[in-house]
Amino acid sequence: MKRQREVMIGNFAIARGLVEAGIELAAAYPGTPSSEIIPGVITFSRRENRDIHAEWSTNERCAFEVAYGASYIGKKAACMMKQVGLNVAFPSLIHSLEKPIRGGLVIISCDDPGPQSSQTEQDTRLIATLFNIPVFDPASPKEAADLAYYSVNYSYEHKTPVILRSTHRVSHAREDVPIYPIGKRRVKFSEGPEHPAEIKPGEDSPLAIVASGMSYSIARDVIKGLGLEKRIPIYKVTKIPGVKSTDPNLTDFVNGYKRVLVLEETDSVIEAILKDGGKISGRRDGVIPREGEITYDVARYAIEGLAKRYGLLKKTFSPDENIERALKGISFPHRPPKLCAGCPHRASFYAMNFTYRDALFPGDIGCYTLGTTMGAVDTCLDMGGGITLASGFYDAFSQDGLYPPILASIGDSTFFHACLEPLYDAVKKRKRFILVIMDNGTTAMTGMQPTPQSGMAANGTPANSIPIEGVLTGFGIDFIRVVDPYDMPGMVKTLIEAYEYIKKPGKESIGPAVIIGRHPCILAIKEDPSKKAFHPLELEEGCIGCKHCIRKFECPAILFDEEKKRIKIDMGLCVRCGICLYACPSHSKGKELSALLKKGG
Amino acid sequence: MRRKKGHQDLQIVCAGIGGRGVLLASTILIETAISRGFHCLTSDEYGMSQRGGSVISMVKVGDFNSPLIGREEADVLLSFEESEFYRNIHFLKRGGLAIVNTEKTSLQKEIEGILSTRQLKIFLVDCDRLAFACGTIKASNMVLLGFFSRQSVGPFTYEKMRETVTADSKGRSNEVNIKALDAGYKEHGLLLNTPSP
Repeated sequence: MKRQREVMIGNFAIARGLVEAGIELAAAYPGTPSSEIIPGVITFSRRENRDIHAEWSTNERCAFEVAYGASYIGKKAACMMKQVGLNVAFPSLIHSLEKPIRGGLVIISCDDPGPQSSQTEQDTRLIATLFNIPVFDPASPKEAADLAYYSVNYSYEHKTPVILRSTHRVSHAREDVPIYPIGKRRVKFSEGPEHPAEIKPGEDSPLAIVASGMSYSIARDVIKGLGLEKRIPIYKVTKIPGVKSTDPNLTDFVNGYKRVLVLEETDSVIEAILKDGGKISGRRDGVIPREGEITYDVARYAIEGLAKRYGLLKKTFSPDENIERALKGISFPHRPPKLCAGCPHRASFYAMNFTYRDALFPGDIGCYTLGTTMGAVDTCLDMGGGITLASGFYDAFSQDGLYPPILASIGDSTFFHACLEPLYDAVKKRKRFILVIMDNGTTAMTGMQPTPQSGMAANGTPANSIPIEGVLTGFGIDFIRVVDPYDMPGMVKTLIEAYEYIKKPGKESIGPAVIIGRHPCILAIKEDPSKKAFHPLELEEGCIGCKHCIRKFECPAILFDEEKKRIKIDMGLCVRCGICLYACPSHSKGKELSALLKKGG
Repeated sequence: MRRKKGHQDLQIVCAGIGGRGVLLASTILIETAISRGFHCLTSDEYGMSQRGGSVISMVKVGDFNSPLIGREEADVLLSFEESEFYRNIHFLKRGGLAIVNTEKTSLQKEIEGILSTRQLKIFLVDCDRLAFACGTIKASNMVLLGFFSRQSVGPFTYEKMRETVTADSKGRSNEVNIKALDAGYKEHGLLLNTPSP
């Protein structure tokens, strides 16, 4: 029989491995680079006619505990999250280690070396090894499928939670992955030394490599590229040893060479476990930079450097600097991350900065963290931190008799994920700040997963909806307004009204003022721009070249034509929302907004 | 590792901006390579931005373990946007091939020096215009792939690429994609620099 194979990304490969291993429940909170695993589980569950319960959880703690509950009573279960999400599930994870499970439990935690879409590069393996939790580190999508399958069985046999750690380079790589019927996967667990035929262990080569995960795959390619595959042996680590244990095979391997380079992402975990003896190179001696992703170039530079030092290589790669020299004279747009053209968050942030320029702006985690560049987000600590920091700022200033405007912002998915306790706390203690909930109806940053308010389950079927304003009313918040951020004068007026409210005298009755800025995510609704009334030429034609909109509104569809000295709209990007007219000081709409400020302030 | 004899390993960088089909293009490449029995890996890189930000997808065909490409290692740079050509030219090895989607008939003059010293083979193709004529500017990724198939590099022949595109999309978008691929294949493009052999 011909073996079946299918091209898929690493996260789908993980899902395939889990489904083949017979999991019955999967729960996750979306977070890059882990978000595609639940859709993968749903896809393969349907295809195999399985009845796997798969859900988006409100946060990672819920995901972990739901999966733990299922494994407690004997099922095979899995939960997924990004590396910083593991912090949210941390208390229950630690306590779960003390209680035996009857089924199997795999936690898939996806790290983000770089980081590309996270606050930190936190290494899941570090937490796992500290607490002796078995942790597997796949080196490719194919191996991720195998290890997902293997982890479920390992957990089921050993009655202990197991972590499968992926990184974005594994989760978002694509490869053709073999597919097996349920329960029939042939897993090749590859770990240990790979001695090229020419080398007797410990004799002929002064230099060896110990590597895990994607760094292992890169090391193999680099060594082959340098023609050193017969000179430098590699030890592949797949199950990361705990700090309290040793792996005699690994120790023997390391003892056999003069110099051992450790390649791993992102922290020094294997490096910390190995006894140094002055022979280990890696992040600690600076051969690998102390932080950041191990790219092909980073690995090549490190391996070449050591290979040259030990006489295995005469010439090393030197980059052609003419390329950089030529590029110096060339202007091309830098493309920092920006909110999409037509994003309702941009409208909210413009109104917030426009109305209270000198306010404190505690922010939060989501697309709307990008409000930093618009001067409407000052902090980004963790999910929910936008509200609790606002409380802390209020207490700190009011203690000294100061009452600056404090404008916090959070998203709708974040509201349910981490904001309920912080908000209840602020209401209970009468903290006076303005909270703008940026409600675009979806978890946009991670790819449009539903929120508890959306009324949709993970598999697309209808579910019950919990409206945000219902929660706010239940908390006893007096000032609740729902505004469409596209109505910018309405948003400015409401912000002024909210500040008037929190400045009112009287100690007892005043608390946070909450504005729900509600407008669907522009990527979710897919409107036909040609049907809109606004024509972009309206902004171009009256332009006097002041660049206010470029500096303050930052819409990617607004460019500046240096020859004509006026703005130019990129018609391919413009969605015809027309909100930019409010950000034009010479347009009547811009003037209308300024008039509001004079009246209100 | 499965590998056809007589074929060199091949490393391709696909570079463009979000929302313009870079990832679909690299999917077509990996599926074409695999359908011909080659081992192939790709790596997708998304920035924070859903649309408008830089997107890179690396494609490696042959005896490789990782999908990552090093500086001056790529055989081919497919630039779905002119700016992304400049941003990623450091990936291209000496003697490499680049195809640039641009309406212009020349690149910025500062780059001309290294085109000849590095013996790069650069084609300029107005993929957006050709795609627009096929029905949507969004199909410019297919025009570029069609033009790439003219070069018949490794497994990426016109016939095989067309088979993959036919199998990959459905309905009207399939029709447009095939039309765009064909338009790219028929286009001659503008060869900037003929390097000395």
